[in-house]
Amino acid sequence: MLLQLNNIFKWVNSGGQRIFLLKDINLQVEEGEFISIMGPSGSGKSTLLNVIGMLDGFDEGEYNFLDESVHNLKEKLRSNLYKEYIGFVFQSYHLLDELTVQENLEMPLLYKKVKGAERKAMVADMLDRFNIVGKKDLFPAQLSGGQQQLVGVARALIANPKLILADEPTGNLNSQQSEEIMELFKQLNTEGVTIIQVTHSEKNAAYGSRIVNLLDGRMI
Amino acid sequence: MFKNYLKIAFRNLFKRKGHSFLNIGGLSIGMATTILIGMWVYDELSYNKDFENYNEIAQVMQTQTFNGEIKTESNQPMQLAPVLRNDYGDYFKHVVTSTFTFDMLLTAVENKISYSGFFSEPGVTEMLSLKMLQGTRDGLQDPSSILLSKTAALSLFGTVDAVGETIKVGSASNLLVSGVYEDLPENNSFSNLKFIAPWEFLKKNQDYENRVGWGNNWFQTFVQIQDGVNMSVASAAIKNSKLENLDAESGMAKQKPVIQLHPMAKWHLYSRFENGINTGGTIDRVWLLGIIGVIILLLACINFMNLNTAQSVKRAKEVGIRKTIGSVKYQLIFQFMIESFVVVCIAFTVSLVLVILAQSTFNEVTNKSLSIPWSSYNFWIVSVLFIAITSLISGSYPSFYLSSFKPIKVLKGTFNRKEGVVPLRKVLVVFQFAISTTLIIGTITIYRQMNYVQNRPLGYNKEGMLYVPITTKDILERFETVREEILRSQDIANVAASDVLVTGTFTTNSGFDWKGKDPDFAEEFNTLRATHDFGEMINWEIKEGRGFSREYKSDSLAFVLNETAVAYMGLKNPIGEYVQWGDSGKFKVIGVVKDMVTRSPYSAVKPTIFTLHYGRFLNFINIKVKPNRSPKEALSHIEGIFKKYNPERTFSYTFLDEEYQQYFTGEARMGKLISFFAILAILISCLGIFGLSAFIAEQRFKEIGIRKVLGASVYSIWKLLSKDFLLLVMISCIIAIPVGYYYMNEWIQDFNYRATLSWWIFAAAVFGSLLTTFLTISVQSIKAAIAKPVKSLRTE
Ligand SMILES: Nc1ncnc2c1ncn2[C@@H]1O[C@H](COP(=O)(O)OP(=O)(O)OP(=O)(O)O)[C@@H](O)[C@H]1O
Ligand SMILES: [Mg+2]
Repeated sequence: MLLQLNNIFKWVNSGGQRIFLLKDINLQVEEGEFISIMGPSGSGKSTLLNVIGMLDGFDEGEYNFLDESVHNLKEKLRSNLYKEYIGFVFQSYHLLDELTVQENLEMPLLYKKVKGAERKAMVADMLDRFNIVGKKDLFPAQLSGGQQQLVGVARALIANPKLILADEPTGNLNSQQSEEIMELFKQLNTEGVTIIQVTHSEKNAAYGSRIVNLLDGRMI
Repeated sequence: MFKNYLKIAFRNLFKRKGHSFLNIGGLSIGMATTILIGMWVYDELSYNKDFENYNEIAQVMQTQTFNGEIKTESNQPMQLAPVLRNDYGDYFKHVVTSTFTFDMLLTAVENKISYSGFFSEPGVTEMLSLKMLQGTRDGLQDPSSILLSKTAALSLFGTVDAVGETIKVGSASNLLVSGVYEDLPENNSFSNLKFIAPWEFLKKNQDYENRVGWGNNWFQTFVQIQDGVNMSVASAAIKNSKLENLDAESGMAKQKPVIQLHPMAKWHLYSRFENGINTGGTIDRVWLLGIIGVIILLLACINFMNLNTAQSVKRAKEVGIRKTIGSVKYQLIFQFMIESFVVVCIAFTVSLVLVILAQSTFNEVTNKSLSIPWSSYNFWIVSVLFIAITSLISGSYPSFYLSSFKPIKVLKGTFNRKEGVVPLRKVLVVFQFAISTTLIIGTITIYRQMNYVQNRPLGYNKEGMLYVPITTKDILERFETVREEILRSQDIANVAASDVLVTGTFTTNSGFDWKGKDPDFAEEFNTLRATHDFGEMINWEIKEGRGFSREYKSDSLAFVLNETAVAYMGLKNPIGEYVQWGDSGKFKVIGVVKDMVTRSPYSAVKPTIFTLHYGRFLNFINIKVKPNRSPKEALSHIEGIFKKYNPERTFSYTFLDEEYQQYFTGEARMGKLISFFAILAILISCLGIFGLSAFIAEQRFKEIGIRKVLGASVYSIWKLLSKDFLLLVMISCIIAIPVGYYYMNEWIQDFNYRATLSWWIFAAAVFGSLLTTFLTISVQSIKAAIAKPVKSLRTE
């Protein structure tokens, strides 16, 4: 078992009223799963993904990640855990504009304090694998959306995470580009990486092994 | 990682050129100012420190009480040094009497040049640790010898190898050069000492032994304390060294002379005495400028903080991404600190260039010769510290602020720029403009006061007046002939000799007695001795009686008093009263003149006595050129006459107007400096709001577009973008007015003759601040307001 959410609640207080963003979420994810989270806009998909990714906290419930109780962890340890095991892919790519493709890929390794030679090798490997060697010195603004997302996925993957979290990774892409990314996810999944993606598309959801449906912050 | 940070820092710099330009520009101007002020402060603090005996040398001061007014001065009678030597010898290693430093004509065989120097006792060479290039420090032991500085020796003999040569000092006899010393460095009290002649020689030559007593405070006395002696103990011990030697009933004893030591370490910055106690001096200025330096740097750092936190929306996304790919907060803090460090380093380099460019002007204004001490080890240490501190001040807040962003918030786009930082940014802008406005108030007040004093009615007319110093007896002996010859020219209105100039009647005298004088009244008068035509020449205004006249032989024993003197003496009907002046005789008061400003125009008029004199006290020949006549022709006429009667001396003259202007150089210097800093402060602050307003206009680009599509006018958009800033600046002004009033009121109290702090000074400063703000912001807001709305909407 990779992670487990037990009775997770998340809310915000607004004007004396408590608004629930997540209600009683129970979710168990095994290693090697490929999960798609679906639901209407505003149903809490991104919120859930951020909670799983430890970018956001929650107000009630338990969250265990690889035998660690995330809800009890200190900020520092949580960020170590996160750095070690999780990679994020965003709808709007979120590459660092001032850095080239190569440097963007290198960044997570720098934060993980990977040594120079090893780092270079890993970056070269990734560029190779994603077929973007020719683009390595370009800046994000010089790439198409699909290429940028490719770099985004590569960057999420480079530190060998166990879990990839993708929030509408194909939301800004055309159907052909979407398909490429999905194929890539599928291949990664067969290689053993656990993937949780948020998507609006039935077609994309079909790549996964399981679908979680959300409505008003509740799993249905 | 470090390399990566540097890379990002540089890429960001190049990517946002405008922003970087404002950032580096503002910061480097601030740093350059601080460096200049730092060099100035260092120079002031290191004054006299070159002397080996810096901590042991002191000047002997004398405090006297004149009719309740306590004055402390360095003037001493020549009798004091022997007393200190004989009765208090245990305290001192050296005690020397010296004359004041003055200009003398030195004549070698072929060359003659006027140099400043003094006559002093032999111990002075050891005391000042003179570096002898030729001869020894014993060179003054022989009363017919003289020591020359390297400069003097070089220009008189073309070589430092001058020992054994003879030179004439003034018109006196030949002195043998017994040594040549290295010129004293510029930054000290004796830097203009180009020759040192023996005191014994002067004493004999001038017959001082028989002429001057305890009452003639004509000289200075320096001491070097004995090893292990405490300066203040020695100072307290010699307290009564003069009084003990006076007849208790004499007028001098009534002036209660108190002797004390003024340590060399305090000569320059702590030269003020109040009620006989050493209180302060120009150290106030050092503090003032030092504080201004720090404040200007702070203003520049504030710009940096404001511009960088204003960039937060742009940087927020980067922070969010970095956090999601594994960055921890401290790494981000570190990254932003490095960025500010890079900017500060660049700004520092630019500031050094600015300092080099501004150096000569700054030196001119401050009358110093400062330059960057490239080869000094300490300079580089201080520079590194300076860079580190500036980076810390300017970088820390943006770093902590930016690195604290929550990634999901910024990535989701719900990041709210109104949170937290805006109030602080506003506070900082208010602070900047409060400082700038206060400096403007200061500048206007200083200039107004100077202007006011400069226009003070003097009570006499110095127009067309010039003076030639009398340097030899020859001219004096033939004064009448010289006068007649000068008057032969159509251009000359009048000629008279005097002991002091009408612009500075610094001679004071006591020992007067008159009917009705309180026996305990220890009086002190300014005196001016002159020849007959002096009064008429300066156009004094006679209130009662008459001026000096050649018709009355008895006028050689007559006084003309000013109004203040009449009041001071308590005379009801002054004309015809008699005044006894020591042994000089009984003088009849023949006239009273209206008060004239014959000393510092900043202070009140002193009681002054005018008397006729044709003897050895005369120091200046005053000449009045007729109005509408060319002074040039008059001067060549005068020069010819002086050449004829005094061929040895180079002819030199000074217009009284120039002489008078010297009262203003100090204040003018301060005024220039303060206005210079005020302009810089305003400039830096404006750079800041320029950047901020540019940024805000950019941020609201889309909003402005929408508003315009909805029909907003250019004016309403200008108002939308400008009103916040104008409001902030108004708040600054409200703070600056009382602060400025408080400080300028303190400052102006130092002047007896002073302008009022009118309301318009404050109004003008406020107006100036608002106007500059208005113009600065309008550039940005109008640019935003007239941009095509389609363009702004499309960029999203
Ligand atoms: N800080 C917050 N304060 C108040 N409400 C919030 C906050 N964050 C999220 N919400 C609300 O929580 C709900 C879930 O948001 P979330 O972003 O998870 O939706 P989503 O399912 O990802 O929608 P979409 O498909 O449009 O991306 C929304 O209704 C949103 O308005
Ligand atoms: Mg979403």
